[in-house]
Amino acid sequence: MIKRILCILLFLSLSMPIFAHGDLTIRIAEKTIEISEDPNNFELYYQRGLLYQQHMEYDYALEDYLKSQSLGNTNKALHYQIAEVHFLTEEYSEASKSIDSYLEVDSMDLSAKKLQAQIHFNLKSYKKSLEGYRYVIHNMKDIRPEDVLEYCNIMLTENNKNYKGALGAIQFGLDQLGPHTISLQLKKLDYLRDSGQTEKALEQYNYFILEYNRNEFWYYKKAKYLAEINRPHEAFISLKLASVAIEQLNAKFKNMSPVIELKEQIKSLESSINNQKS
Amino acid sequence: MIKKSTFLLAALYSVVSIAQTSNVDLPNVSAVAVTNAVGLPQSSASVTVVRGPYLQSGTPTSVVVKWRTDIATQSVVHYGKTLKSLSKKASNTALTTEHEVSLSGLSPNTKYYFNIGNRSEVLSKSDSGEMYIITAPTAGTKQFVRAWILGDAGTANNNQRDVRDAYYDYVDDAPQNKGKTDMMLFLGDNAYGSGTDEEYQNALFDIYDEMLKKSVAWSCLGNHDGKSADSATQSGPYYDIFTFPTNAQAGGTASGTEAYYSFDYANIHFIILDSHHTSREVGGAMYNWTQADIQNTKQDWIVTLFHHPIYTKGSHDSDTEDRLIEMRQNFMPMMEANGVDLILNGHSHSYERSYFLNGHYGFANTFNQDEISKGGHTVGSNGFGDGKADSNGAYQKTSAAAEGAVYITTGSAGKISGGDLNHQAMSVSLNQLGSCVMEVEDDGRGGQNLTVKFLRENDDIEDYFTINKSGIALKAEGTASGLISGGLLYDDNKEVVKLKLDKNDRLKKVNIYNNIGELVKKSRKESINVGKLSKGLYIIEVITKNKGYTESITIE
Repeated sequence: MIKRILCILLFLSLSMPIFAHGDLTIRIAEKTIEISEDPNNFELYYQRGLLYQQHMEYDYALEDYLKSQSLGNTNKALHYQIAEVHFLTEEYSEASKSIDSYLEVDSMDLSAKKLQAQIHFNLKSYKKSLEGYRYVIHNMKDIRPEDVLEYCNIMLTENNKNYKGALGAIQFGLDQLGPHTISLQLKKLDYLRDSGQTEKALEQYNYFILEYNRNEFWYYKKAKYLAEINRPHEAFISLKLASVAIEQLNAKFKNMSPVIELKEQIKSLESSINNQKS
Repeated sequence: MIKKSTFLLAALYSVVSIAQTSNVDLPNVSAVAVTNAVGLPQSSASVTVVRGPYLQSGTPTSVVVKWRTDIATQSVVHYGKTLKSLSKKASNTALTTEHEVSLSGLSPNTKYYFNIGNRSEVLSKSDSGEMYIITAPTAGTKQFVRAWILGDAGTANNNQRDVRDAYYDYVDDAPQNKGKTDMMLFLGDNAYGSGTDEEYQNALFDIYDEMLKKSVAWSCLGNHDGKSADSATQSGPYYDIFTFPTNAQAGGTASGTEAYYSFDYANIHFIILDSHHTSREVGGAMYNWTQADIQNTKQDWIVTLFHHPIYTKGSHDSDTEDRLIEMRQNFMPMMEANGVDLILNGHSHSYERSYFLNGHYGFANTFNQDEISKGGHTVGSNGFGDGKADSNGAYQKTSAAAEGAVYITTGSAGKISGGDLNHQAMSVSLNQLGSCVMEVEDDGRGGQNLTVKFLRENDDIEDYFTINKSGIALKAEGTASGLISGGLLYDDNKEVVKLKLDKNDRLKKVNIYNNIGELVKKSRKESINVGKLSKGLYIIEVITKNKGYTESITIE
């Protein structure tokens, strides 16, 4: 008895500096004690594995999950966790096997379908990944901007010319999440530019200019784009608008380093446009 | 054996800490109906309100009222400006136990009393007028604002209640604006251990029932909330319980997610981030949103809150933990550059408050107490002081300055967990229970003071500091309507722009461009009628025989 207690104390004293997660440290230690009392209980290993995973101790987490499995745990959640740990440690082939096992039991689970699509993406099975993610995007109740962006990324990795599809997905996201969701509007601009849809890209710059309270950055970005597509006079007018927008700011904003840098960028682009003209 | 081992474990780690987190005094959910009715008339209805009402997503013209009943029924809110005349009604006819009613078309800065019920009866009301909504002031309004800040509160034990009661005592006895709490700001970990619905009932609704009926609650996601909530699907108790603006309904920029969002209150812009589940990468969706949002606000004050602390040496360590380091290194350079004033975090169960800082993104031992102009990390002549108006003096931030922010890790509204508490950037580090009160008020000299007090569970104010911002809301210069520039006169009464040319020069043409750079008018005259142009900013391009130049006008 005394030996066991001393072991526990030793374990705790050694583990304290390693773990910095306060309560989690205690909970892992408590679970270890429980395991020492009931070493064939697969549920305890599973629970400690979850704690290790939260603590980003993935090797220990996997060890516990596999131990739990070897002791007879056939719960589908265990397959998911094993898949997730493999995914986090970039062991994608192993992750794929585990998530497939999970989906054999519950083929409609959206979190698992999403993880499977992410695994396929990392295994460069882009078509499978896209198919899986499409299912997730169209069936998930509350999608996030991040989901739409990830879906678009898969789509363009599968076919780097499929901007029509990517822009369609962005529009789907805007319809679902709200028309002004900024991260989607920003990505829409990227795709319009990258696909050479200049007039639509300019409309998108105008969207930002008209939609936002402060538009000095957008005037400059539009001017830079206009200069890139060889429309120097329009770029010049946009730079003038940027300068006036800065002048109309309160002193606090004028003195912020991003605005000071912006003034320099305006000056530099203006000079470059003037050189182009002459 | 297990009991003995656990006892030893507790003794080793911290007797105090463990005792604070015990659940021995958790009220159970079945007692909620009774708790809910304290101070309010009992309803004889067969349907019982078991949670709330509580207020969400307050704006100058709207608010969301939520509550839960034991039996599915319709949702009705009666409201009005006087307690005796709740003549307005908002309702949902669908039968549900999870009620959510949006009141819209309200007047800014106005008090509305309300009750809740279904189509046949009132289920919860307050005859003494303790159920009310005060709508937010219009964005930009300069007025007194008080926020109650609660970090890692959710223990549902007497520590949490003591901290709560200290604030209730404080606000009831406040020398000014007695009883006024404009908002509750929760810094995450609102319900231990996993943020389940039952834990939220015990640690949030049962504890703060009184305040939740009259003050809008906002929150960021904590790691314990994140155990039962899934930000990837925006599901789970945290996302079900709270309703946050995803489409800039309360000001700011649309994030499209409740995981991170912003809102305006008076002349303060609040940015709420998810430091737990969402990617903290530069260039990620949350980063891009934050940058767009902070560069889009014209508010006088910017306050941000998220769970994982930028600086701490409490029960967590900002030198070793990834989320803390990433938020510090990725988000803070951008947010500081764009004028953030106050950063509120939890996670460590202690109170740690910084000096007046800028540019400290490294480990604790790289902190340099010198002023930024000397290569250090503090701002102003007293930036390394205590920030107390009656001691080293309030921290100063002129309206023309972006630099200078105070970082507070305040995660002891439910328990304390010790730690080294020796982060060099911190002016004060305390292993004490408490919550924070933020108050913004006029300084009497055309500026405002933002004061934060750390209020202990025993009613003592253990720390306080003030950021003074002078010359708030000074009008920008710029080319407003009617101003004469070197070569142009805009007469807004006659709606005419007149060009002033040198005697030896001759006008060739004038082009007028609107605020998106479209050519909207051409002329060859020195006097141009602009009466038909819509309101907005215009660039006027003037080409003469000798030169070309541009001017701008704003038609208002």
